Amino acid sequence: MQLLVYGIINSITLSLISLGFALVYSISRVPNFAHGALYILSGYLVWIFLNKFAGFPYPLAIIAAIGLTAVVGALIYRFILIRIRGMEISEIIATYAIGLAILEGLRWGGLRGGTFTLPTFVGGSINFLDVSVDYQRLIIVGVGILTFILLYIFTRFTKIGLALRGIAQDERAAMMLGINSDMTAIVSLAIGSALAGFAAVLLLPLGNIVVEAGYNVLIFAIAVCVIGGLGSWGGTIIASFIIGFAQLLTEAFISTHYQMVVALLAIIITLLVKPSGIFGKQKELEERV
Amino acid sequence: MKRFIFFISILLFIVFSVPLPAVSAEQPIVIGAPLATAFLYGWDAERGIRLAVEEINKAGGVKVGAKKRPFAVEVIDTRDLEPGVPVSEALLGLEKLILEKKADFIIGGPVRSEAALAAMDLLNKYKKISILTTGVLTPAYQKKIADNYDKYKYCFRNTSHVGVMMGEFITMLEDLRKAHGFDKAAVMVQDVAHARAGGEAMKKGLTAKGWKVSDTKIYPTGTTDYSVGLNDSAKFGAQILFIWMDMPESAILLKQWSDMKLKSLPVGFVCAAEQPGFWKASAGRGEYLIVNLVNGGNAPAKITPWTMKFSDAYKKRWGLEPEGYGTSSSYMAVYQLKDAIEKAGSVDSDAVIKGLENSDIMGVYGRMRFDKKSHQIIPSLDPKEGAVTGIIQWQQGNRVQVFPPKAAAGKVLLPPWMK
Repeated sequence: MQLLVYGIINSITLSLISLGFALVYSISRVPNFAHGALYILSGYLVWIFLNKFAGFPYPLAIIAAIGLTAVVGALIYRFILIRIRGMEISEIIATYAIGLAILEGLRWGGLRGGTFTLPTFVGGSINFLDVSVDYQRLIIVGVGILTFILLYIFTRFTKIGLALRGIAQDERAAMMLGINSDMTAIVSLAIGSALAGFAAVLLLPLGNIVVEAGYNVLIFAIAVCVIGGLGSWGGTIIASFIIGFAQLLTEAFISTHYQMVVALLAIIITLLVKPSGIFGKQKELEERV
Repeated sequence: MKRFIFFISILLFIVFSVPLPAVSAEQPIVIGAPLATAFLYGWDAERGIRLAVEEINKAGGVKVGAKKRPFAVEVIDTRDLEPGVPVSEALLGLEKLILEKKADFIIGGPVRSEAALAAMDLLNKYKKISILTTGVLTPAYQKKIADNYDKYKYCFRNTSHVGVMMGEFITMLEDLRKAHGFDKAAVMVQDVAHARAGGEAMKKGLTAKGWKVSDTKIYPTGTTDYSVGLNDSAKFGAQILFIWMDMPESAILLKQWSDMKLKSLPVGFVCAAEQPGFWKASAGRGEYLIVNLVNGGNAPAKITPWTMKFSDAYKKRWGLEPEGYGTSSSYMAVYQLKDAIEKAGSVDSDAVIKGLENSDIMGVYGRMRFDKKSHQIIPSLDPKEGAVTGIIQWQQGNRVQVFPPKAAAGKVLLPPWMK
């Protein structure tokens, strides 16, 4: 039972940190290697609001931080990525460089040590199905599931969401229908960054805000997206569950030592067996051709 | 107007022609500090060094023969605690301190063991004396000196190492066994060389003393969930949770331990829990955690008369209590160097080596003297005999020294759910 409960928690955690990366890639085809940096930036912004402005309400700090992170994401596209759009290597180098600049800039600016933390939404724990689970993790599960549902509704029943999907499916056809490709990419970067920030404010209260976590988040986001199929949101969620449970089972039955290797091994196996990932159908067709 | 200009000129002449105190007129003795300044073991070491230098300079400087010379500090960021940064980066930094910054002596790092071991040859090449004060817990350092004294005689270490720390931990846990009847322990370590070695040594040591120890759980750096390991330790019935981690995510482990109210006492080397800010950062859930700060004085304590004097001075200068491993040792290294230079009457390396070998001062964490063969600080559980450790327990927001008994300010407390 413990494996089931913590497997679900671990899987939803992975989904949350990967969704933003998957969304940006699926719509704008930009591999946003600054994803981990935006995650940490958002957490740090919340910390600043709470600790540097006395009496700043926690919910408002969260909203402001996520909003600012979304703006940063949009600006990254508007002023940098727009110039190299379509040049994949340049996009990777540029986004990775931006991520490095943000993370190392934060470190230089004072984000050092283990004392930067965010308060949990609710303290304490309960025995859920005879397994001790803290409330924050239960909130992560609930909010995570709600996020998946809202994203599904947003992309299928709103004008902006449909435009995003249109661009993701066929950019030229979508442009012929009057959808502005660059504006859509800006929106996707903003939403993707906001999702990174959203994951940060949910997950960082479990531990502390450290620069190194930005690199780890990026590695896991890439692992999940490669396995699920780059550009596939459904694949991202399925892959999160595969890795999430594989990690827990490895920890329980083999050794805690190998749990990190699971994600990296899964990338290698996926690339060998099905390079397009589990749900990467369009790419698979290209590979066949 | 002419009279005004005349007076101003006279005034300026007086100001610039009157000789300044001897201390600032003499050429400073440059201390090079190669440190990973983005990490606790780097920045606290820098603060310790700067504080000691300021105190010494304020008091007139270092007596070198007939002259008094001030200390100057040059710090370089070796980045050797950052993941993926090669050892060569730290060596380049050290060489830059020696060649460009003209460092006369080295105090501080490099901080990572691999870099410090590699730096020993460089110190020999330039015949520069180094006092290692932070990071580096490997016993290989002093073994290398003892095995090849002539080559590595320039290297000293005034901080502890894993071999000593293990003995201290086991002595403390044996005391707890006598007091509370504990006999089961679970070991959780980070997947890095020093932590794995520490975990294995602890398992071996405790087993030899008759403890039952569960399989060691080794966690990759960056792990954010420890629930399986913690539940396994509960099933095993562990009363001691031995942790050896320097990653910040170890704070998550402690939060989970607290939330689960496990009937075990967390003890270990937990970098994230060393700093004064840990209490606030863990929202008090780090209470009862016992942490080894490697040397006394890295938290307020009453080990010697100098301990609180140092602690208060540090707080006054930097706005917070001594922060953790590397603080008191880096501070003391400057005073040890001063003592050795004054004994030698010069800054010549060979003379200062003899000065350091014969130095014997009652410092912040006890009697401080180096072993003449290995240049390792002589440890003890009695501050009158040698350098003592700083094992503290978080109690109501304070870091209370609980071991060794001769330097303790309080007793080990158990969480209420363990009683």
